[in-house]
Amino acid sequence: MKHKLLPLSETMHYILLALREPHHGYAAMQKIEEISKGTVILAAGTLYGAIENLNKHGWIESVGNSGRRKIYKITTDGEAVLKMEQERLLHIISLYEGSD
Amino acid sequence: MKKVKVFFNIEKEEKWLNEQLQKGYRCKNISSLGVYTFEKTNKKYVLRLDFQDNLPKNKLEEYKAMYEDFGWTYVKGSGLSGIRYWQKVDNEQNEIFSDRQSKGNYYRRLMAYSFMLGALCLAYSFMLYSDSSLYHEGLWSMNGSLFWKAFIFESPFVLLKLLPVFLVVMFGRSYYKAYQKYSMLKEQ
Repeated sequence: MKHKLLPLSETMHYILLALREPHHGYAAMQKIEEISKGTVILAAGTLYGAIENLNKHGWIESVGNSGRRKIYKITTDGEAVLKMEQERLLHIISLYEGSD
Repeated sequence: MKKVKVFFNIEKEEKWLNEQLQKGYRCKNISSLGVYTFEKTNKKYVLRLDFQDNLPKNKLEEYKAMYEDFGWTYVKGSGLSGIRYWQKVDNEQNEIFSDRQSKGNYYRRLMAYSFMLGALCLAYSFMLYSDSSLYHEGLWSMNGSLFWKAFIFESPFVLLKLLPVFLVVMFGRSYYKAYQKYSMLKEQ
């Protein structure tokens, strides 16, 4: 059976993409707002829960602190998940293009 | 301004709190005994209730830091009940959950909480009622006015004894409400 977080939700997907560079939670939210062109604005509880969840599954890890905040970065497992998702989405896009 | 109120449903509590804030108040403190302290303010505030139990100290700090970065102020929270009260100035970002998954998880946490408290009260009820009846045995053999006097005298104590059952019903209701919301979010 598929992993329970797959396919990635929009929230999880953007967080993993943003954490290819190390960020603390709020900075990740700002980054996501920017890279999603303002379409994805995460709320505090959603971000907290998603980071907890991704961390629990070993897809991101804490790499340091900034005051009380924790800084997170994607792990190699997380990168493998992104790679899989990329292939899945590319295939779906190829189906769109094939129908033209 | 102080108000005393008891809630068995976290969503009703949140709704009531926000109704007070809309009248131009800010919540200053909430005591465990149900005393809510408000103060007049010129700004508009919103309050959101989150549910997080079992947060060890370092997790709690991280949790708080995250919400505070988003402009929320921690009014009150206790590990015992797990309810966390967050307040902030009203603007376009007033929610603590921005997707269906996290909102669903919130209702699942609420379900677990109501279930646990309900089960606890139920177990307590069994203990309480198995070794004593509600009214004294002798009451039923009394006659006329003596019976009624004794009956009226004992009734408040009986009601007190029935409190755990009442609580089971209340927690059962909030479990069911949370379940309904959870399954609605799941289905769509």
